[in-house]
Amino acid sequence: MITRFKSKKALSSTDILTNSHIRLMVLLIIFCFGIAGVIAKLVWLVFITGWGVEERRHPPVAPLQARADIVDRNGRTLARTIDVWSIGIHPRTLQANHISDPDILAANLAALLPERTADEYRKILRSNRSFVFLRRHASPELVRALNMLGEPAIDFLHEPSRLYPEGTLCAHVIGWIGEDGHGQSGMEFSFDKELTDPKRQSEPLALSIDIRVQAAVEKSLAAAMQKYSAEGASAIVLDVDTGEVLAMASLPNFNPNDRSSSDPTAFDNKATLSVYELGSTFKPLTMATALQDGVVTSLAKRYDATEPLAVGRFHIHDEHAQKRWLDVPETLVHSSNIVTARIADELGPERMQAMFRNLNFDHRPAIELAAKGRPIWPAYWARTTVMTTGYGHGIAVTPLHLTSAYAALVNGGVWRPATLLKRNPDYRPDGSRQIISGQNSATMRRLLRLVVTDGTGRKANAPGFRVGGKTGTADKAEKGRYNHGARISTFAAAFPMDTPRYAIVAMLDNPQGIAETGGYATAGMVTAPMVGDIVQHIGPLLGVIPDPKRDLDLTDLRALLWKPAAKKE
Amino acid sequence: MLSLVPAPIRQLPWKLLFLVMAVGSFGLVVLYSAGGGIRPWALNQGLRFVFFIFVAIAISRIDQDTLKRVSWPLYGGLLLLLLFVELFGFVGGGSRRWLNLGIMTLQPSELMKLAIVLAISRFYDLLPAGEIRTFSAMWPAAVMILVPALLVAVQPDLGTALMIVAGGIIVTFLAGLPLWLFVGGGVSLAAIAPLAFFFLLHDYQRNRVLIFLTPESDPLGRGYHISQSKIAIGSGGIFGKGFLNGTQSHLDYLPERHTDFVFATMAEEWGLIGGLFIIVSFMIIISWGMRVSLNAPSRFAKLTAAGLASTIFFYVAINLAMVMGMAPVVGIPLPLVSNGGSAMMNVMICLGLLMAIDRWTRYPKKGF
Repeated sequence: MITRFKSKKALSSTDILTNSHIRLMVLLIIFCFGIAGVIAKLVWLVFITGWGVEERRHPPVAPLQARADIVDRNGRTLARTIDVWSIGIHPRTLQANHISDPDILAANLAALLPERTADEYRKILRSNRSFVFLRRHASPELVRALNMLGEPAIDFLHEPSRLYPEGTLCAHVIGWIGEDGHGQSGMEFSFDKELTDPKRQSEPLALSIDIRVQAAVEKSLAAAMQKYSAEGASAIVLDVDTGEVLAMASLPNFNPNDRSSSDPTAFDNKATLSVYELGSTFKPLTMATALQDGVVTSLAKRYDATEPLAVGRFHIHDEHAQKRWLDVPETLVHSSNIVTARIADELGPERMQAMFRNLNFDHRPAIELAAKGRPIWPAYWARTTVMTTGYGHGIAVTPLHLTSAYAALVNGGVWRPATLLKRNPDYRPDGSRQIISGQNSATMRRLLRLVVTDGTGRKANAPGFRVGGKTGTADKAEKGRYNHGARISTFAAAFPMDTPRYAIVAMLDNPQGIAETGGYATAGMVTAPMVGDIVQHIGPLLGVIPDPKRDLDLTDLRALLWKPAAKKE
Repeated sequence: MLSLVPAPIRQLPWKLLFLVMAVGSFGLVVLYSAGGGIRPWALNQGLRFVFFIFVAIAISRIDQDTLKRVSWPLYGGLLLLLLFVELFGFVGGGSRRWLNLGIMTLQPSELMKLAIVLAISRFYDLLPAGEIRTFSAMWPAAVMILVPALLVAVQPDLGTALMIVAGGIIVTFLAGLPLWLFVGGGVSLAAIAPLAFFFLLHDYQRNRVLIFLTPESDPLGRGYHISQSKIAIGSGGIFGKGFLNGTQSHLDYLPERHTDFVFATMAEEWGLIGGLFIIVSFMIIISWGMRVSLNAPSRFAKLTAAGLASTIFFYVAINLAMVMGMAPVVGIPLPLVSNGGSAMMNVMICLGLLMAIDRWTRYPKKGF
């Protein structure tokens, strides 16, 4: 059968077989070309693409240093470490690795990053530069989209970033971290070791700050600063028993998330770094010492304020001269320099210095921050020095010094260092010291309350909060001399005065009088109302319930205030 | 002939089998690295590999008449299965139309790549030699190729459809159809394809073609796959980063690192040397298949052998071209190396049939 088949179709069959052989060879050759093409591409990839690629595997990014969060006393986040990516491209690597067509890539980049046109991207991609940033702080979505372009010359720099969700709020206290990931300022600096301790990562650093209180304080400060065109402002709210700082503000402030756009002077924390002659706010300190040391035996004791007090070539005047003899409540209510100077003179340099030392006025303020100003302590305690320091001139301290001193005045007489860490309510720090008796502290509370109800601090009287405090308007000391056109208006207070819980010191740097204040920029006109405003806002937040029916009994003190005949009832 | 080893085993093309085992074992090593241990892939793939080696050896015992007898029923059965799958979509949803066979899943379209070669070869085997240039030599083959190809294309799996068409056309080419048919066909196809795309296809079909052309609906995504794959291959250098040291694959940069893109995973760790080993091994296997075709004792055997060798070539060439960015991403695995049963089964059946044809040539009298 096979033979028959062959003989019959011999010719065409052979034809086909030969033909088939040839075609098989053709096919084999095509296959070989295909394989050769694949091998050529493989070699290309290894020798051309391969070189530009390694760089990407070792991005020039320092590994993220873990850093614990910082929270306020209620657990609100003040500082947190988040992942932020920056996107850049290595044009030279792109040109070397031949993975994507620069024209197509430029179009894709323009679609995803519209801040530049495709032409500009093309120029960058074809340039001889080694690295160009495409976008700093990109969103994860954008990073993903660009990663999907698949071009290895596009580099993603993983920049761990410290985010401060509250922005400018409390920025001076929180501080910031540097490029090296270590704290450079504020609590970030002071507690850098604790924050970076791998064992404490899960546990946030809890500050004593209450961010709600801080916000209220900063809002009032900023409003007052703007209203009176002040150069700066500062305020502190302190727990009088534990020394915890509930709020600490300094204006102008800065945004720690974007420090580059801030004025460098804004970085100074006026509350702890800047020292000021805080003026009449010192008078209650002098008075308390006089009570404690028996120099003033009775609040009814009167001192001559009929004439300016002459000490050598030096004359001490009263701002609101009463031109009569004043007792202790009147001295504070009218803020008499003359009487305070007389009392300080009676106390003498030793007792005055001892008092200031007791209040830590000879050292930088006691707080965890690093930015602490050294007080200007008189080099020589002449008689005039003793007198002027009695009403807050010739000695300069930070607002925090004064806040701690006021806390001691009203809390039963115990001075305690301030702290920015959250403490237990029964926390009593080391280094506490009794500076006046509980009895005298109670007297001081009533005197301070009297200043607000009947004296220069009337505008601080937040209804129902039993605010007590003292104004202080001092000429600003600049370059060793007084600038009589510029002043520091301070109000030092505490509330509620029946059972004091919080001390507040607020200060405006060089406020300008406006029509509403009759052109005055004294503490009683500009700072006292601000403190009243602050107390009204923060009192409820701090659990102090306003009660208009409740107040200290000041009848005996009021009886000591002389009233003009016309006003007598 | 006395020997300790029985003839059926002695007669096996051992050199080829060793080469196949070498490539397969290398594939297992790569999967071990890609999976970070014998699980999830290397162990299963190894078991499959051993199983299919025995399947291939068993298939090599088939005699020519049996193969001829089964080639059309096999084709017809698969065609029915494809039709059934397409019409009723009875297995799974979407385009995953597979049968679960326990040890592996099977797509009927995969086996069709082989069945088309057998069926067309059988057709030209039956066709009297003198009629090869007549119209009746052309249209049945065309129908036999296009019907399953279209069924698969609308699944949509145009990659497999193209491989079915290519396998069929290779056989018709070798069978001796006039040359102008292929040249002219190629030219006119290039001209007609766009027109057909826009005027002949329905919207959904067009969409399916578009989906094939851009298998990832996100074009950026596809670019990502290809360039990551290119990076992986390029970064391997000449000698590679070493076993278990690939960063692209281990850091999940590489998509499908154990299946379609396994070559990139391999090249990163074994470098140019590893890549050349795989390519040269397949070249030897394919050219061995072509030599089997050249020496085959019958027209059917000749056409079948060449068609099967071509099928292996298409697998390898399309996969490598895809992985290196020379072709679009079309889900064609690298046989013997990629994890997965279908491709391995196909290639092992191919090799089994080629070994059978080789046996018919070398031992014309039946082995038993």
